[in-house]
Amino acid sequence: MMDIIEYGDSALLINFEQKIDLEINKLVNAYFKAINKLDYILYQIPAYCSLTVRYDKSKTSYHDLKSKIEEIEIDQLNLNEKSNLIEIPVCYDLSFGVDLESLSNELGLSINELVKLHTSQEYYVFMMGFLPGFPYLGKLPEKLKCKRKDTPRKRVDKGSVAIAGSQTGIYPINAPGGWQIIGRTPIEIFDASKEEGILLNMGDKVKFKSIGQEEYKELVQHGS
Amino acid sequence: MDPKLTLTFLKPGLQTTIQDKGRLGYQYLGIPIGGALDQKSAKMANFLVSNDKNEPVFEITLTGPEILFDSDALIAITGANFEVYSDGVLIDNNKAHYLTSGSIISFGKLKAGSRAYLAVAGKWNVQKWKNSASPLLQSPEATADSFIKKGSKISIDSHYLNKTESWDKNKTPPVLSTKIRVRVKPGPDFENISRMTIAEFFSQGHIISSDSNRMGYRLESKLAKAEERDELISSGIIPGTIQLTQSGQAIILLNDAQTTGGYPRIANIEEDDLDSVAQLKPGDEIWFSLV
Repeated sequence: MMDIIEYGDSALLINFEQKIDLEINKLVNAYFKAINKLDYILYQIPAYCSLTVRYDKSKTSYHDLKSKIEEIEIDQLNLNEKSNLIEIPVCYDLSFGVDLESLSNELGLSINELVKLHTSQEYYVFMMGFLPGFPYLGKLPEKLKCKRKDTPRKRVDKGSVAIAGSQTGIYPINAPGGWQIIGRTPIEIFDASKEEGILLNMGDKVKFKSIGQEEYKELVQHGS
Repeated sequence: MDPKLTLTFLKPGLQTTIQDKGRLGYQYLGIPIGGALDQKSAKMANFLVSNDKNEPVFEITLTGPEILFDSDALIAITGANFEVYSDGVLIDNNKAHYLTSGSIISFGKLKAGSRAYLAVAGKWNVQKWKNSASPLLQSPEATADSFIKKGSKISIDSHYLNKTESWDKNKTPPVLSTKIRVRVKPGPDFENISRMTIAEFFSQGHIISSDSNRMGYRLESKLAKAEERDELISSGIIPGTIQLTQSGQAIILLNDAQTTGGYPRIANIEEDDLDSVAQLKPGDEIWFSLV
């Protein structure tokens, strides 16, 4: 079920079954929390179906840590802990959703249908990565599955909401990126001027809500 | 009360930043580790001036700055070997130096290595975000003072002891060579990489490309192309991970790299050898030994 391997000389990698799956990801999160309580852990990187654990090699060893991890018993109840549900307003206007038109052709859906599908369900935060505060959200409804852009953009604007594969995400800052952009949120999901400046965390749930340009402007002006 | 010392950067140098041990513990949020690339030299500099080992230092890359000190100060410079002058007089690396008020420290020719570390005794009054003063590459406003510009002023509560100890002789400064060999362990995806690619990886020296920075060093050698396969499911990256892009280019990932990635990881450089890697410049050569 899980495979623990050496990752360099001061980290180990736990590989779970290698697929993007909610139950597997909940197990990653449960191990992440349990391992945080062990001694000599410098940091961890939970991902879809793997967990990187960096330890202080002057205090512990790969073999010691591996056996401590193997002793961990994950309580099935904790796996179904209630997650925070965060509503994120998104303006799906063509001026923000610069890939909406081409995507509508590619997927054979009208833009309205596309927006309806994207806002129709709750998404789970599978992991954070790529950029500080970037959430990998899944899974998209089957009908919205799409490829990345052939050529990544040099700059995707902060707040852009995008899709690729069976995932959706939000750009926390201006950055290069290859996902298909369908809208923009006025909400700051990353604010480096605040110590607790990252809105989402692995295990949270997100629901997108479609807003018009007027509401978008208001939310930007009044801060969020 | 500690005397206030202000450093004014008359020249910033090519890339001078304030660095410490980085943001350990926030990687689950997608935040890069950051911190001094050559940790050993950074700690040594602080040690020489009797600072806490995690006090910030200046990381000085390839071309050094010129700095005015408005009060007395105790400093030490470690890491890359620059010609460093105190009011025009050449001073030694890896030693503590007392400066009198009004002194100017200037950096001349780089003789070996790539990154020097300048420690100044005392408590630094610099902005921190998530326990670190190191710059967050993707969001400089998090610690705005940490990218040094012309005219930057850094304030330090300048307390120091009248004696400094010498650096533990067992801890040698990093190797400053244009050609190094480092120890690696097989990476998590080693078994899925073709034998040909692995043979090419270990049987030659690799030149550091000019397209290299604190996120990672690209290697110029083109390795046998990785097999056509779907991208791997994104997984964690740590400093020293060497990943292989689809075109057969190897990249050594460093402290400012993103925390996750989808390219196959061929090998990992041992932690203790990363300090020497940090001293390589574009054009220098690196060899890998499997341990």
